[in-house]
Amino acid sequence: MTGVYTATDKMVDLPTLAAQVRDGDGVAVGGGLSSREPMAVLREIIRRGVRDLRVVGSAHGIDIDLLCGGGAVGATAESYVGFEQDFGAAPNYRRACESGTVAVEDSSCYTIVQQLRAAIEGLPFMPIRSARGTGFPSLHPEYKTMTCPFTGEELLLVPALAPDIAILHAQYGDAHGNLRIEGPPVADLLFARASRNVVASVERLVSTDELAALGGPNVPYFYVSAVAEVPFGAHPTACYPFYAYDRPHTALYHEAASAGAEAFDMRYLRPFVFEPADHDAYLGRVGGAATQARLASWADGTDTWLRLYDEAIV
Amino acid sequence: MNAPADATGCTLGEVMIAALARTIRDGSLVFHGFGSPLVQLAMHVAKRTHAPHMVLVAGATYAVDPRPPFIPPTSNDWVLDRGAEAALDIEELFDLAASGRMGRMFLSGVQIDRWGNTNVTRLGEGATMKKLPGGGGGGNLSCDVEAITLWTGAHRAREDRHGRRQFRLVERCDFVTNVGHRTADGRTRTELGYRGGGPDWLVSDLGLFDFGAAGAMRLRGLYPDTSVDDVVMNTGFEPMLIGDLATIEMPDAEVVAIIRALDPLRVHERELRTEDRNRRFPLGSAAPTGPSPVGVGS
Repeated sequence: MTGVYTATDKMVDLPTLAAQVRDGDGVAVGGGLSSREPMAVLREIIRRGVRDLRVVGSAHGIDIDLLCGGGAVGATAESYVGFEQDFGAAPNYRRACESGTVAVEDSSCYTIVQQLRAAIEGLPFMPIRSARGTGFPSLHPEYKTMTCPFTGEELLLVPALAPDIAILHAQYGDAHGNLRIEGPPVADLLFARASRNVVASVERLVSTDELAALGGPNVPYFYVSAVAEVPFGAHPTACYPFYAYDRPHTALYHEAASAGAEAFDMRYLRPFVFEPADHDAYLGRVGGAATQARLASWADGTDTWLRLYDEAIV
Repeated sequence: MNAPADATGCTLGEVMIAALARTIRDGSLVFHGFGSPLVQLAMHVAKRTHAPHMVLVAGATYAVDPRPPFIPPTSNDWVLDRGAEAALDIEELFDLAASGRMGRMFLSGVQIDRWGNTNVTRLGEGATMKKLPGGGGGGNLSCDVEAITLWTGAHRAREDRHGRRQFRLVERCDFVTNVGHRTADGRTRTELGYRGGGPDWLVSDLGLFDFGAAGAMRLRGLYPDTSVDDVVMNTGFEPMLIGDLATIEMPDAEVVAIIRALDPLRVHERELRTEDRNRRFPLGSAAPTGPSPVGVGS
């Protein structure tokens, strides 16, 4: 039976968890834009030298850009990869797409939602009325059209999409694999239900009773095969209520990535991905306790929250 | 932080926000995507002035009627769902559009053509292809949502290093990410049976446009400091000109105060070029009334 995981204790360390991601896997990365992306797991995947991942998702940023910069991606069906008004385009993603090392299979959010839903419902496809007339069908020869037998209208059929593995970062989880995601789930809940396997890093590992007291899981344990407790595991993206987005670190990242592949290797991959022996060493490199206190200060009030985004403070 | 205009005047960004806000009808369900601070602010301005009954759905967080303390430079941030009455998840948000409940959405592009098609996927192709970040859900929403407001803060064409003008408003998009009124192969929205009606307004840094009965873009309004010549010179196709060009309405003090309170980081100015950030206008006297950005019937 695929996709039903019943072990009582799924706690593993970060390298063991990341080792589940294999060359060529179809991967759904959780979170979105500058929020709750499983960055520690992604750094570990790059350290392991994983190749040819086929990534799919909605609006993403540093997560997919880092995977591209680390040479781990073979094809992208993301709907957006960038840094919005904050820093603009995603430099590694763009280079990888333009050089042809990453196949461009861009998609659109609802198309992906419907493909995931087909997988969740055990159906071969889902119909949509939209996306016909756009350029997307030219990137996806697998889409078909049909005439609706009820209304006579033309519909686009998009095939079921079951990622090999979903990689999520949740605020809370227990050893059994139950996950509690707080705030916008982005596509994480769909990813969990549609994927053949789910692995998750969590900010806080709690008991099943404590998880129930927090409001209970929104990803039940049987979807999940492995859980690792990785505090600050989403850094430099946000994982509220614990910490906000690390804008100065993202500025450093973007500057290194914009300077070219070699500069990115020297100024980012080596110091922040390859040289730190483990996640704790990474946290030391990005400012340790002082950075953690700064990012937690969002909760002190609007003024301190606002200061975390001030361009003058880098 | 950038310094806003003084209390007696307003900036281009503020005028554009007010014009975008006036495309919103009270009582409709309205959505903005990520990476669109001008639009985020326009929706909050509309909600707090002429459209108190609009259902404001924020991009990325899918929060319903939030009251954010300020606009941060990224869209998926808990700042933006503070005070929300409810939150949607991704499938519910897009289902609302597919089933015909979403009244308006805002889209932009690195290329925008005369039919209102937009491109945020790639420029050129093959060996010289330039990859753009991608369109999020626009490829679906542009078909499904009842009405679309287009916007761009970069209408003014720049020259590349060979001195060729790089148009934002182009004859033909290199890739159609979001559909307008006519697809690349000439099919109309009616032929395609889309649920939504397509773009009805374009707010740019040079002017205001609508779309005629056949779906082609028409110049309808100018800023006090732009001319028909500016528009023609900076547009890659011949924009349709009709009579009675209006001057775009300036925001009043209340609207400008809402914008400045919500955007102390001036995030919205990152959508504008430096020279456009420095444009200054007198305040207007009328609060936005909607649904027309020039105050004439649409």
